[in-house]
Amino acid sequence: MSVLMCVILLAQEPPPAEASTAEASSSESTRFFETSVRPVLFEHCYKCHGPEKQWAGLRLDSRDAILKGGDSGPAILPGKPEESLLVRAIRHEDDNLKMPEDGKLSEDQIADLVRWIEQGAPYPDNVATRTRTRDPEHWVFHPPAEQAIPEVKDRAWPGSPIDHFILAKLDAIERAPSMQADKQTLIRRVTFDLTGLPPTPEEIAAFLGDQSPDAFSRLVDRLLDSPAHGERWGRHWLDVARYADSNGLDENVAHGHAWRYRDYVVSSFNQDKPIDRFIVEQLAGDLLPFDGEAQQQVQLTATGFLSIGPKVLAEVDQAKMRMDIVDEQIDTVGRVFMGLTLGCARCHDHKFDPIDTADYYGLAGIFKSTRTMDTYTKVAKWHEHLLPSAAASAIQAEFDAQVSAKKQAIEAFIAEADKQARGSLAADQAAPERLDSRYPESTKMDLAKLREALSTLETAGPDLPSTMGVTEDDVIDVAIHVRGDPLKLGEIVARHVPPVISGPGRPAFSSTASGRQQFANWLIDPQHPLTARVFVNRVWRWHFGRGLVRTTDNFGLLGERPSHPELLDWLAQRFIADGWSLKSLHRLILNSSTWQQSSIPDPQTLENDPENRLFGRANVRRLSAEELRDSLLAISGRLDTAVGGPVLKVKNRGYLFDHTSIDLTDYTSIRRSLYLPVIRNNVFDLFQLLDFPDPAVPTGDRVTSTVATQALLMLNSDFVIQSADTLAERLLTEQESNAQRLAALTLIAYGRDATTEEIHSHERYLAQIEEALSGTEQDLTARKRQAWNALCHTVLAANEFIYLK
Amino acid sequence: MVQLETPFWSRRGMLRQSAVGFGSLALASLLGHESQATESANPPVPALPHFPARAKRIIFLFMSGGPSQVDTFDPKPLLTRDDGKPLPFDKPRVQFNATANLMKSPWRFRQYGESGVWVSDLFPHLAQRVDDLCMIHSMHGTNPAHGGAVMKIHSGSDNFVRPSIGSWVSYGLGTENENLPAFVTICPTLAFGGINNWSSAFLPAVYQGTPFGNASVPSDKAQVKYIRNSRWSKAIQELQLRRLAEMNREHQSQTGPEASLEARISSFELAFRMQSALPKAEDISSESESMQKLYGLDSPVTANFGRMCLMARRFAEAGVRFIQVTHNDDKVQWDQHSDLKPGHEKNAREVDLPIAGLLADLKARGLLEDTLIWWGGEFGRTPTAEGSGRDHNQEGFTMWLAGGGVKGGMRYGATDDYGYYATENKVHIHDMHATILHLLGLDHERLTYRYAGRDFRLTDVHGNVVTDVLS
Repeated sequence: MSVLMCVILLAQEPPPAEASTAEASSSESTRFFETSVRPVLFEHCYKCHGPEKQWAGLRLDSRDAILKGGDSGPAILPGKPEESLLVRAIRHEDDNLKMPEDGKLSEDQIADLVRWIEQGAPYPDNVATRTRTRDPEHWVFHPPAEQAIPEVKDRAWPGSPIDHFILAKLDAIERAPSMQADKQTLIRRVTFDLTGLPPTPEEIAAFLGDQSPDAFSRLVDRLLDSPAHGERWGRHWLDVARYADSNGLDENVAHGHAWRYRDYVVSSFNQDKPIDRFIVEQLAGDLLPFDGEAQQQVQLTATGFLSIGPKVLAEVDQAKMRMDIVDEQIDTVGRVFMGLTLGCARCHDHKFDPIDTADYYGLAGIFKSTRTMDTYTKVAKWHEHLLPSAAASAIQAEFDAQVSAKKQAIEAFIAEADKQARGSLAADQAAPERLDSRYPESTKMDLAKLREALSTLETAGPDLPSTMGVTEDDVIDVAIHVRGDPLKLGEIVARHVPPVISGPGRPAFSSTASGRQQFANWLIDPQHPLTARVFVNRVWRWHFGRGLVRTTDNFGLLGERPSHPELLDWLAQRFIADGWSLKSLHRLILNSSTWQQSSIPDPQTLENDPENRLFGRANVRRLSAEELRDSLLAISGRLDTAVGGPVLKVKNRGYLFDHTSIDLTDYTSIRRSLYLPVIRNNVFDLFQLLDFPDPAVPTGDRVTSTVATQALLMLNSDFVIQSADTLAERLLTEQESNAQRLAALTLIAYGRDATTEEIHSHERYLAQIEEALSGTEQDLTARKRQAWNALCHTVLAANEFIYLK
Repeated sequence: MVQLETPFWSRRGMLRQSAVGFGSLALASLLGHESQATESANPPVPALPHFPARAKRIIFLFMSGGPSQVDTFDPKPLLTRDDGKPLPFDKPRVQFNATANLMKSPWRFRQYGESGVWVSDLFPHLAQRVDDLCMIHSMHGTNPAHGGAVMKIHSGSDNFVRPSIGSWVSYGLGTENENLPAFVTICPTLAFGGINNWSSAFLPAVYQGTPFGNASVPSDKAQVKYIRNSRWSKAIQELQLRRLAEMNREHQSQTGPEASLEARISSFELAFRMQSALPKAEDISSESESMQKLYGLDSPVTANFGRMCLMARRFAEAGVRFIQVTHNDDKVQWDQHSDLKPGHEKNAREVDLPIAGLLADLKARGLLEDTLIWWGGEFGRTPTAEGSGRDHNQEGFTMWLAGGGVKGGMRYGATDDYGYYATENKVHIHDMHATILHLLGLDHERLTYRYAGRDFRLTDVHGNVVTDVLS
């Protein structure tokens, strides 16, 4: 069985006990097929010998079909290329049979097909059944069907409808879920999940002391109400929105006002703004009606979503730059809201999903009719909305006053200079029309300086509150760019949404508006087959560490099938029925027995489902870069919880990095990691090391790598060492005895009680360090303090600090 | 270390125990597999190299800013003759800046070696080694701005973040020394793509380049971040690691099946070994005086770049696959929009002797046989004048290769009579990438990685191996 087949089986049913390693040997031939054979067949043969047409009765899109052959008999004899009809045809050996008709394949392509037949013509046909490339019947293009809640054997286990779906799949393989996790584990897990911070010893004590049956759901409510919640979940969205405080790419200049979009996201999540509304605001907030300045500002800020992508600002080819920006927007919108890789259709019809180039340019018209940039001359300038407010008016008035004062000063200066110049004229001389030529040199220079100061002031403009965002531009439909080339234009395509997406009514686009609003309304139509599914799947991923569809940003044919399609559809419909309330969705998920399982599996379930595709246990999770940093600050009592605001010291559009390679960004703040600058091309090194996503592209599913440089960070960084010092200091001053200190340390760092044995081991360790230090540190108090520093450092570097169970 | 009973779920963890390093390809791929939560469970496990490699490693001498081809290695008699006249054909549709008429090179060209390859007076030392060099005069690219062009040279893409060529090579070949990274970059520039020029992008993090300092740091201060501990002695660190291992084993037994717990335990052991291995590989103090002199460490003009070249040779010996050395100072080094003469003279003086020394040293050690050297900038410069300098020119420029698998003393391809456009045997940057991978035993069409639903490669859908330059 090929590895690829495994994937498909995994996607559809419980996995076999031992997955891929044994099949590694055949992976090379599969890869060969997928990279060198299928593309050739796809490109040159399927059009006439595929799902749509079968000329001469021949299909080449599955092994069976090839072996069966067409009117002239089998197309190939596995292992015998020289006797295979297909080889004769592609080599043009026979005048009556030269294929493909539109031109001979390259020698390499022919050699690859020959080699493939020599190998026995392996054809991972499940892929064909799975993908049926460009299949308009693929489930993602059709609205979810109503799902009945499945029956389960153990009626006591489910605490939520979700659990019925999960348990039904486990029932099907006769396996059990895990036990419920203990309360200490749960409060640590849920506090990190909802706020990105560790629970304090007081919060743990309160929860453990609360014996009421709804203790956990009240804990969830408390966490959902805390401002830290939006900071944690806002960051998830910022991953998807490819948020950054700098442009990156070629000209790494400051997005000095992007923070307003970041704060908009955080407050939207804290307010539980309905997600359909959240989506429309980000795509068309500038076009929505508003009630007062505050609402208008929020909506303008939301459109920053479309503007904060990376742009090649020094692209000399302006037509290309413009289409590159449109492309980035289409690709982002496609991945983020629909889980579709629309960007693929820029140069050619999408190879796997039924999205045509014409559909791409149908969308391109919407974004080309949208103004993202004010100028395209290098270095190009993105548009910003001025945010009208009393404060802004005051800044503008102050600026106008400065300009007018400077102008008056110049006029006065000229008047005085003219007077003197006139005075220097001989009595009989007629005054020339302009006297400035008669000014003394020093006066000329002074005047030039005054004028220059005025011009500098006017060029700089007032530093008004503004926000990155888009507005309407001239409305146009865009011509197909042949192979994506802005110089090779084909026919003009009217703006439209991809027709393959069924469900919502097709929006009408007018000649007076870009159509963003219509497009956004189409996305949030309850009948839209993708928007709600993609969103609830993201939320599931962020709670469980893996989506029901694992490829959170690709629901297309190359994405994976859902492990629990019925649950996905049920969740999507429930989410819409609940008014797209994210907090309701959180409650639904967190109060489920599924989410509250222990990470220790039932041994038999583990045997059948080692990858935990069926969610029969909690996944062990490593903290994200932000959670690790915030935890280190929190447990050492240093975290500054100030909310929102700007983060850059470089002014808007100023260079964060230039040819000097000097880092102008300051990461010494002790605020939450959300408020550290996100600098494309040079992400903060602690973040880089711990898998912070590339902020140039949408990421719904962060990877977790484990590499030695992370260990170097934990062992050697001054930040970690200082955190340990501060924690040690806190323990030494707040607690009386070593035993109390060790108990407090374990509670603060790991959220649990220390065992007696553990305390003894720690004490022995302290003694060892003190002894090792005795040669170099004579002062006993200092030696003891150092030993505590070393111990705290070790505790913070350990797996238990950085992993949640 | 304390050996606790292995919990029943940790078989898979054991499998990948050492996958945190820079070593074994299969294990590294396994890591790629398991850390690649986004993607399918079908990781590419390349059976590599695809064919016998001519070079085991590569040193990329990156001349940031864009050296001028018509002033270094691509002499143009007609340019000299027609100095001050207009270019007799059209300039490209897309230009970075406007340029005026033709400007002859201020340097004389001479032929050297048995091969008679031309070199200008800018490179007197390198000229002595031309019989080892394979000049490719017909390079061309797609982007006339530094940012796009630098990213293109490093990653094959000028408008998307893609894995760097060094990451592709590490992904394909792994490292020969498990205590060292497979891909290092010495004093890279942080502008024009910054870390993206050595990032692994969507390839697993283990394949990213390890930077030693950056262009704002002199090479004798270039260090890997967090490689030194400012607080604890080695003895205390050993105690810490032992305790850490005990605690981690205990924790593992109570946590549940998660392979990365085991991997993280190993990662600390490797980190501890790296702490001594990396500084040692970098430390040139054990090199003899004459060796240091060969690289120009005795002169303030050549010492900074010379040290980088010497470090590069030490990394090559130690088994690093992809070593990049960037010639950049606090300006965009070779970017002479004005003052071509003093600017190029200063730059050439800084690199000429060290590069010649590197070639001589590698050859003497037998390392040039299987080490590929790649020299060049992100583009060349216009033969037309921009004041007293030249503008960016991606339409035609020279790079050279030397060592493992390439013909020495060769001139391949050509630009037009004035050196503006590549005309004969054109070699696009994608072709250069394909050729470099080929020399390392990798088929650029088969070195792929599946991400976001499609297979990516360094050369995208382009690239042809320039077989004529292979020895």
